[in-house]
Amino acid sequence: MITYGSWVSKMGRIFAVVDATFKENLDQLTLHRMPGALPFAGKFRLIDFTLSNIRNSDITNVAIFPYGNYRSLQDHIGSGKRWDLDRRTDGLFILPPKNLYIIPGESITFQRMYEHIEYFKRSTQEYVVVTAANIVWNIQFEQVLDYHLKKAADITEILYENIRLKTYILSKQLLLEYIETYDTLEYRTIADVVKNAPNLKRAIYRHSGYTRTITDAFNFLKSNLDMLSFSNGRQVFREDRPVYSKEKTAPPAKYLSNAYLENALVSAGSIIDGTLINTIIGRDVIIKKGAIIRNSFIMSNSVIEEDAFIDYAILDKQTVVKKKTVITGTLTSPYVSQKEQIVTNFERMRVLIVASESYPFIKTGGLADVTGALARNLVRKGVDTTVILPLYKKIKDDFDESLKRERARTIMFDDKTYKIKLFSYVYKKVNFYFIESFDFFDQVEIYGFDNDPDRFGFFNKAVVDILDYFDDFDIIHLHDWHTAMIPILLDNSPYKGMKTLLTIHNIDYQGKTSSSLINKLGIENFIFRSEEINMLEIGINTATKLSTVSPTYREELKFEYFGKNLTYSLLTRDRDFYGILNGISSKLSPEIDKSIHTNYDRDTLDLKLENKRFLQREMDLEVNDEAFVMGMVTRIVEHKGFDLVIHMLERVLKDHPDIQFVLLGSGDERYIGELRKIEKRYPAQIRLNIGYDSTTPNYIYAGADVFLMPSRFEPCGLGQMIALAYGTLPIVRKTGGLNDTVENYDPLTRKGNGFVFENYDVNEFTNAVFEAYLAYKKHPDHFLVLKRRAMKEDFSLKKSTQRYIELYRAIIEL
Amino acid sequence: MKKTLAMVLVGGRGTRLERITLHTAKPAVSFGGKYKLIDFVLSNLTNSGIGKVGIITQYEPYELMNYIEHGSTWDLDVNDGGISFLTPYTTIDGDQWQKGTAHAIMQHFRYIEHHKPEDVLILGGDHIYKMNYNDMIKHHQKNNADLTIATFTPNEDLSRFGIINADENDFVTSFEEKPKDPKSTTASMGIYVFKTDVLKTLVTMNIDQNFDFGKDIIPLALKKGMRVVRYHFDGYFRDVGTVESLYEEHMNLLDNPQYLKLHDYQNLPIFTKSSNLPPHHIAKRTLVRNSMISDGCIIHGEVKHSILSSKVVVKNKAKIEDCVVFSNVKIGENAIIKKAIIMDDSVILANTELIFEKVTVIDNDYLWKLGEQDGQNIRRR
Repeated sequence: MITYGSWVSKMGRIFAVVDATFKENLDQLTLHRMPGALPFAGKFRLIDFTLSNIRNSDITNVAIFPYGNYRSLQDHIGSGKRWDLDRRTDGLFILPPKNLYIIPGESITFQRMYEHIEYFKRSTQEYVVVTAANIVWNIQFEQVLDYHLKKAADITEILYENIRLKTYILSKQLLLEYIETYDTLEYRTIADVVKNAPNLKRAIYRHSGYTRTITDAFNFLKSNLDMLSFSNGRQVFREDRPVYSKEKTAPPAKYLSNAYLENALVSAGSIIDGTLINTIIGRDVIIKKGAIIRNSFIMSNSVIEEDAFIDYAILDKQTVVKKKTVITGTLTSPYVSQKEQIVTNFERMRVLIVASESYPFIKTGGLADVTGALARNLVRKGVDTTVILPLYKKIKDDFDESLKRERARTIMFDDKTYKIKLFSYVYKKVNFYFIESFDFFDQVEIYGFDNDPDRFGFFNKAVVDILDYFDDFDIIHLHDWHTAMIPILLDNSPYKGMKTLLTIHNIDYQGKTSSSLINKLGIENFIFRSEEINMLEIGINTATKLSTVSPTYREELKFEYFGKNLTYSLLTRDRDFYGILNGISSKLSPEIDKSIHTNYDRDTLDLKLENKRFLQREMDLEVNDEAFVMGMVTRIVEHKGFDLVIHMLERVLKDHPDIQFVLLGSGDERYIGELRKIEKRYPAQIRLNIGYDSTTPNYIYAGADVFLMPSRFEPCGLGQMIALAYGTLPIVRKTGGLNDTVENYDPLTRKGNGFVFENYDVNEFTNAVFEAYLAYKKHPDHFLVLKRRAMKEDFSLKKSTQRYIELYRAIIEL
Repeated sequence: MKKTLAMVLVGGRGTRLERITLHTAKPAVSFGGKYKLIDFVLSNLTNSGIGKVGIITQYEPYELMNYIEHGSTWDLDVNDGGISFLTPYTTIDGDQWQKGTAHAIMQHFRYIEHHKPEDVLILGGDHIYKMNYNDMIKHHQKNNADLTIATFTPNEDLSRFGIINADENDFVTSFEEKPKDPKSTTASMGIYVFKTDVLKTLVTMNIDQNFDFGKDIIPLALKKGMRVVRYHFDGYFRDVGTVESLYEEHMNLLDNPQYLKLHDYQNLPIFTKSSNLPPHHIAKRTLVRNSMISDGCIIHGEVKHSILSSKVVVKNKAKIEDCVVFSNVKIGENAIIKKAIIMDDSVILANTELIFEKVTVIDNDYLWKLGEQDGQNIRRR
């Protein structure tokens, strides 16, 4: 007799929610696919591990919540047959987002689940496992459920060593409660609940087999290479719980007469005639004679030609490495190719940077630092680098004698001829060129004129007209709207087809002007849509590739809140759009910085205290080692979060006399006024140093305990990177480059390098400040671990320059 | 070809393959590391868009049926038609044991009639070749043939084949089954296209005598003056009837890069059921040359000029050369094997030395007996 009970047990007790809503920092590897669809260990995809764990736990009801472009994931999973999920009852459900205006976060929100609440209501199983699509592991969820029941817990979280795996077991009923009340609940995700909810019975299940979450190129390569060791591989590829993947047909790998191998995993269909050392080879890869590949993962259908040398690289599908090409990365920063890229050796890449400002000649803001530093670091990496700037009056005054006169020209603009002169100056092996025009650039100020669009339009025209003066460049790197007309001008010149990269530093400035500029520039066949043109938009539509200054900002720009009127243009170019984090100079190090009171490093962090005392003395605050010093170095403007800062100060200073606040900056009088009022009320705790002087803020970075950046938006942000380098923990809002550099402190695992809050909200910011304050007071050991980790982070210019070089190569090799 | 039904005969044992077909039908014999012989005909069918396939079994069908399942590997699990296994059955008149190829078709004629095809394509399940059957069917229809026979030019002893003579218009003039003194060099591939009603007429005529296509049906059709046409196939075609030829075809895979073009996925790809295994692992420093290695293998020793099927383990300092190794074989430390076909699941103990002049099939029975008598070729160190 079949009883109801036995039928229920046959259906399984658990259903599964696979969280594939987040993107992680995998750069171009995840440009056209979600992390779950990333190839792994030759023939697998990351999500195979999660789906196989589900299958091996006899779970037959699975929902995958994908993010963004899930075509390659859908293609891989199909009907789920491979994991026994093509069923009459239950089976596999892919539940895409309904609301496209939610920016992806770190993990699935209750709101996202609410969009598909019917699924949760219809599922008949009593328990749910919520897990992620980017974990390499082999686990039996039934065992976790038994543990969960034994502990009589509300939520059981699975941990591996000290790593959170975004995997939880709870009852369907409890999950439904959270989902249904998502709009009034103060927790957005299960992670929030586990971390913060009171009166919740939590249990922790510690999984012991090999486990890694794939979050960046480094640990992606590392855990792939880990599979080359039997002791690791055996824990993941178990006979009793096999890992299933999509079926594909390929003949066995073939070895020819010049093959030489030392520890390699080779997938079917490959033909090997070269040397493989510590390397993983995907399906249908061809390695030709004399090629040497070490410590790398070569994905399917790639071809490595004769005598190429590859070390520490991740080559995406269908990459072709030409004869004798040398590719070298490191374990922490592997070389990553793009899908279908053709990699060749360059004799010497020739790059032209065009910008409106560049250090050391002219600087009004961060753009000058970035272009100047990028140029210098490119030269160091062996790239032939040229920079062209307008010759502003200030440059002429400062450098007049030393500028070398190159040539004079006339430029047609608005049917008139204008005279320009070209000057040059070699600074640290970078070739700087300056275009002199008395008609357009002879002012003291460099921006802020009504005819700015005309001035820079003329500059763009002049740059394209004088290209014949130079040997051909491989690529032109453009910055912001001031140079955004160059691609369309190139299209109307003999240089049509020359490759360009347009980097957007700040989307707020776009160069809107009358459409007559098009005629003034002599551009033909332009389709006018209105009386007005937008120079940045034209650049976005016409540049070969686009980039912005952090991966998160790249994602954010797809939403109108950030991308504004250009959201649509950016979305249509999504496949050509990259996010590369800026870096800071290696001179910004407490070890060698002469401008701070006492030098220190990771191992002599106690000396940082000297800097704190110095800061307190300088600022005329009470010298107190126990005080909690918050620092800020910034322009005082709305988007830097001053509405939050002012209200936060009101709340924390009153009852905590040991909290001190120092601010160095200049800007909006309204905020300065408010701040002055607070300073008057708490004179012992707050000190404002108004009047931004960028040469000497480092004593704040060195002396403070925490550094505040509650920005409303922040394309990249350098302050938090400097703070990290000086072991000063940043408290930041989760946006833009802040999200890419600061990881929130987790008291359970002691992970993180700072404090992160989600919404632009005074409560959340204040809570984050209190959390930092409590960690500082109650867990000084944790605080020290975080500081050490912060100082270990590498946000150097060297790293970002390398990324730009890789991107240049990818563009040139298109 | 929607109106074509394929009948695949997979009943033969292939006695000359000796111990290789002891417990399995010949179409289930492994080939080229990952394949089974049946993959070729089933892939050809799906590449030709023929989706109705009857598979007639008799000898040891279990492994084959288990392998083919619903045919999803070849995209033959379709709503209309798909794969049907046709097994011997009993009727009110007694047992229906197949007495020959034509007899087998006759027995299952109800299956053919159920699908009402215009033409019936008759195929063997144990040949190695890549062919688009549509070209042959078009040729058949263009010539309004009653029966079309596919032919090829063998490069070996012609007396093993049915030899076809035809005129310049491809009309067959004579057919000799395994002649001592062949008159032409084109041989039948054992692949036929029949008009359905012609097939029915022929196989039901004198059902107590006409058991075989080669021996009986083709001569009968010629005698009756039917339109018998030849279709000549230029590609590679091999019948691996013996241990030696099976071995030779494997070595061909290694030595001739153009052979079969298994890497060509666009033009007539060969599908095979994928085992669910991780890529193979070549462990620390070892020599692997001129070989093919399948998924799930773990190689510590030396592999030269050999083909390894899945899950083969070659231990430290073991050496295999000129071998064909079927799946799940374990080769112990210091073992040396040369010129052998090693059957599935064989376990070769450490220090075993087996060096053959003539290709030899090794299985666990063989190894067991060797162990008992410590025979000529084995030497323990």
